[in-house]
Amino acid sequence: MNEQLSPLWTHLSSENRLTGTWRAALPNYQDQPSPCLGACPVNGRIATWIGQVKNGDIHGAFVTLADNNPFPAIAGRICHHPCETACNRVEHDETVGICSLERFVGDAALDQGWAFPAPEEERAQSVAIIGGGPAGLSAAYQLRRQGYAVTLFEASGQLGGLMRHGIPSYRLDRAVLDGEVNRIAAMGIDIRLNAEVMDEAALERLRAEHDAVFLATGASRPKRLPTLDYDQDWIVDSADFLAAPQDEQIARTGAHVVVIGGGSAAMDVARTCRRLGRAVTVLTLEPEGRLPAQKVELDEGAEEGIGFVSAAMLHSASFEGESVTAHCIRVEFQPGAQRGQFRADPVPGSEFTLNADTIIPAIGQDADLARWAELLDANGPVIATAPGWQTSAPGLFAGGDVASMERFVTEAVGMGKEAAHAIAGFLQTGIAAPVPEIAPQVGYDRINPAYQEDHARTHQPVADVVARLASFDEVQEPLTEAQARKEASRCFSCGTCIFCDNCYFYCPDMAITKLEDGGYSVKTDYCKGCGLCVAECPTGSIHMQEDEAR
Amino acid sequence: MNAPVLNEDMRLMNGNHAVAWGVRLAVPDVAPLYPITPQTPILEKLIEFQSQGQFKAELLTPESEHSAMAGCIAASALGARVFTATSSQGLLLMHELLHYAAGARMPIVMFNVNRTPAAPWGFWPDQIDSLSQRDTGWVQLYTENPQDSLDTVIQAFRIAESAGLPVMVNHDAFYVSHSVEPVSLPSADLVQSYLPRQAREIKLDTTIGRSVGAPVDQVQWNRTRREMQIAMAGIADLTVQAGQDWAALTGRKSAPLEFYKTEGAEIVLVTMGSMTGTARDAVDRLRADGVKAGLLKLRLFRPLPLADLRAALARFGTALVLDRNYSPGTGGVLHQEIKAALFGMDDAPGLHGLLAGVGGVSVPVETLEALAREHLGAPTSPDPIWVE
Amino acid sequence: MEKIDYTDTGQFCSGHVACAGCAEALAMRVILNEVGTDAVGVVVPSCTAVILGGHPMSSAKIPFLHGTLESAAASAAGVKRALRAMGRDDTTVLCLAGDGGTYDIGLQSLSSAAERNEDILYVCFDNEGYMNTGGQKSSSTPKSATTGSTPLGKTTRKKNLIEILAAHRIPYIATVSPSHLNDMKAKVKKAKGMRGMKVIIVLIPCLPGWGVADNAAVKTARLAVESGVFPLIEVEDGLTYKVAQDEKKHPLDDYLAQQKRYRHLKDDDRAELQADVDASWSRLIGLAAM
Repeated sequence: MNEQLSPLWTHLSSENRLTGTWRAALPNYQDQPSPCLGACPVNGRIATWIGQVKNGDIHGAFVTLADNNPFPAIAGRICHHPCETACNRVEHDETVGICSLERFVGDAALDQGWAFPAPEEERAQSVAIIGGGPAGLSAAYQLRRQGYAVTLFEASGQLGGLMRHGIPSYRLDRAVLDGEVNRIAAMGIDIRLNAEVMDEAALERLRAEHDAVFLATGASRPKRLPTLDYDQDWIVDSADFLAAPQDEQIARTGAHVVVIGGGSAAMDVARTCRRLGRAVTVLTLEPEGRLPAQKVELDEGAEEGIGFVSAAMLHSASFEGESVTAHCIRVEFQPGAQRGQFRADPVPGSEFTLNADTIIPAIGQDADLARWAELLDANGPVIATAPGWQTSAPGLFAGGDVASMERFVTEAVGMGKEAAHAIAGFLQTGIAAPVPEIAPQVGYDRINPAYQEDHARTHQPVADVVARLASFDEVQEPLTEAQARKEASRCFSCGTCIFCDNCYFYCPDMAITKLEDGGYSVKTDYCKGCGLCVAECPTGSIHMQEDEAR
Repeated sequence: MNAPVLNEDMRLMNGNHAVAWGVRLAVPDVAPLYPITPQTPILEKLIEFQSQGQFKAELLTPESEHSAMAGCIAASALGARVFTATSSQGLLLMHELLHYAAGARMPIVMFNVNRTPAAPWGFWPDQIDSLSQRDTGWVQLYTENPQDSLDTVIQAFRIAESAGLPVMVNHDAFYVSHSVEPVSLPSADLVQSYLPRQAREIKLDTTIGRSVGAPVDQVQWNRTRREMQIAMAGIADLTVQAGQDWAALTGRKSAPLEFYKTEGAEIVLVTMGSMTGTARDAVDRLRADGVKAGLLKLRLFRPLPLADLRAALARFGTALVLDRNYSPGTGGVLHQEIKAALFGMDDAPGLHGLLAGVGGVSVPVETLEALAREHLGAPTSPDPIWVE
Repeated sequence: MEKIDYTDTGQFCSGHVACAGCAEALAMRVILNEVGTDAVGVVVPSCTAVILGGHPMSSAKIPFLHGTLESAAASAAGVKRALRAMGRDDTTVLCLAGDGGTYDIGLQSLSSAAERNEDILYVCFDNEGYMNTGGQKSSSTPKSATTGSTPLGKTTRKKNLIEILAAHRIPYIATVSPSHLNDMKAKVKKAKGMRGMKVIIVLIPCLPGWGVADNAAVKTARLAVESGVFPLIEVEDGLTYKVAQDEKKHPLDDYLAQQKRYRHLKDDDRAELQADVDASWSRLIGLAAM
């Protein structure tokens, strides 16, 4: 220091004092998964693509979405959306309408005719995929993107699987289904419709001809109630019914239909019957409030005039005089440890009857594993798989309903994606690549609610009941772009930096630098480690970590 | 030496108005002012000048002397020429800021009208208000009549701005502040040539951004006081020079120490302020009566011109210090100061401390004459003597 | 979300000695950058002075006079008058003081400067106590808050400085919070563009003084605003009141819970404080409606 300078007057900047030495912890900028990502069967980067919607970049949102799911328009309509259940915004007011936004993006992609890009490189190896449902199509898409030759075998005459044969058009418009399926087909996939039945010999042949095989044949055998005589013409199988053309559906049902089951298939049957002008009673083992179907289906079904008889089971049914009498009894329902497991104890003396013209049991379907018993190990009702969906036969992978009891379309899409990842690893290294671990997700405690939009959720409009019952048109109507962007703005962007600059402006020490290419860095010379940047981060995308340099 | 100015502009005015005239001619930039008896005529005259367009300084009229001094310091920190005036309670209220102003080396000029502090309330001439500020780091000058006040307040700007220290000029309540005498007014051009604007080396400046007064460590604080010591050591010479230059322009001489009829004197009266006039008359009477008496007027009290004081007093057998102030427990402040100044001198005079005129009581010339006779060659005592 | 929008031109420098997480430094950053380069500052003993100073360094680019505690407004007036005498009347005079220097010992000189309508921008960093001396009560300390000199909680209310200043009919009075930086910036800009006396009161939750977590000053300030205990207001000419918010979004308890100085309160005490806030709020809304 210059001794000649007067001690009365300052002559240096405080920048000569390095307050970084005070610090015990340092902010670390690191995006972390949102809870919706963790809950999403395809682990979609939801916070990212919703952010793109918010900013009006719909194409970008589509690209982000399609990274994990080639069916945004479909999933946006029928996904059981565990993402919305996991959404941190539930703690604040109500979940973000993720599905409605996904549908908005998916519809925009179809409207605009956005195609998937050709693979960056073609690979010599080939994969056979058996089953053209959501799992098979998802795997085909992911493998084809990476340049593998894909041959897809579908037993029926059309792709789509359960999405086509099991989901009525008032939930999933056929043009949407065709659009998203065709967009995958257009990637250069060798599609074999009306393929031969895949017995063990056929499988072995495919294994020999291809470098890997993915088996995704679904679960096509209806479960049956042992007390019913399925040969009676007043008993109709739910899967057959849903797959049948409309005139056949009319022919097979009487004026009053009793549907057995509380899942989505049961609701699809019941609501289809209402559109055919039938009176419908749904009989479920589960008590009210615990039905496995989605709430929106149940609510809309009730609006459409479906009668529910809950916590009861069908004991027997017989045709008496002009109609069927269903003998029922109330039950004490106890869910089991896993999905699909339960106990239902009849309550003595609670017997009652229902009158019907037609009974349609819709209590689920099993995979037909017997044909591959020599080749593939089973795990109860499904094919046994190791992580990465590898079966007991090397090079043969399985996913979707044939390999899992997670019987949702997007679960199947996720399995197809995971299997494709494992298959690619297998083809490149000989070892199935493990499913990537999802890092711990950002909880609500990391979100700063002060910076969040406070407006209420914008729900999709719903067609009125009279119009709904008069056609098979879609019940849920789309959001407009303005509505979508408004709804997108409700997203907390959990764990995802939105470049809001809060960390920069709330730093009392001017220790955050805005980088030219976006993003931020910490001036370690000055950061005192107070954590205000973390506290005022709206999204939880910064955290404090012990400063190892100290 | 130049010839005295002819065609003098002589006017009758009291001491306070003479001060106001001096300030008007010195052309300060900012003048924070607060009224207090008996200073108020200074304030009123300056405001009258301003209302007539003859005084262009920014007049700040805050709610207290404390704020007036705060305003002085701040304006001075910007490099402005600053003046204020006060008295007694007002000066005492400023006490904290007197330290600040000197510590920050602000060349403020303040005129203080010496007055008794409460309690009990009184409005009488007594110098304890300013003398009790002796440790604040202000240069202190004392004047004896309106002309002296006018001349000295102008010189004070020269001394303050040259030394980088604040200067307080004092005159006694009423005896000087309100007594009307003929005063010779210098011309504006003359004063302007005497007080050229000096660019301040360091000040608050947006283009440099240096701050003043920020907390320092012990060593740096110590350094500020050592630097003040150096500045104080130059004050006596600056005062001499300021007086000589002023005399060259006006013919009116002044110095840190002024002597009257001290040739061959056996006893000398030591005074400060308005008492000097009475003492001068007493010396005349004593001389006429054959008593070898003289007068030593102390004009510069802080810093005390030690070397000159010791050399001067060595010439006399007896010195009578007249204090119009009382520091309880010790006595007259001037007496204490001079006792200390004489420390270790073999040829020191016999020193007597007289508490004369404390609280503004009248000290007639006859009393001083009698006291001189009484103490001439008398044994000394360190204790003060109350003059009846 | 509304993005924070001001340009940091480096008027407040890193390396200052504010506590880690100090909201006062945050507010100084906004204020100094908004005031800009053509300004002279006055600061009086306070945390602010410590943050600004420490010879031989300064954390501000503009020059500051480190004045005496009771003299903030008087010193600022002196600076302004000197600038005016030098023909630099457009240079902003920025005066920074704490609540001790404003509500207490400096109130006399502040009142005088307000009455004279001195052309200064006076900013009070109100941390509701003498926090730089270790945390004693000031007349800005709210009722029931504990401090070093009110260990059982202060028994009287916080002084209503806004209404005192409004009674002086000065051109502009505003309250701002480090949780609302755009509002702070806008008000500083507005005040800077006005002539005469402008007073801006910044609520500063003091981390050690209030017992607030290192990362929670902004949150606490936000709750002060949103609970209505420190509404963001403007008063023009002492008559026209404007309140930035329509309603109190949080119960007072949410705000109190952030701070250790209210930890001793019982339910009845909290209810009494809530009633006080409600009454003040109603009065304020009434003033704004006039």
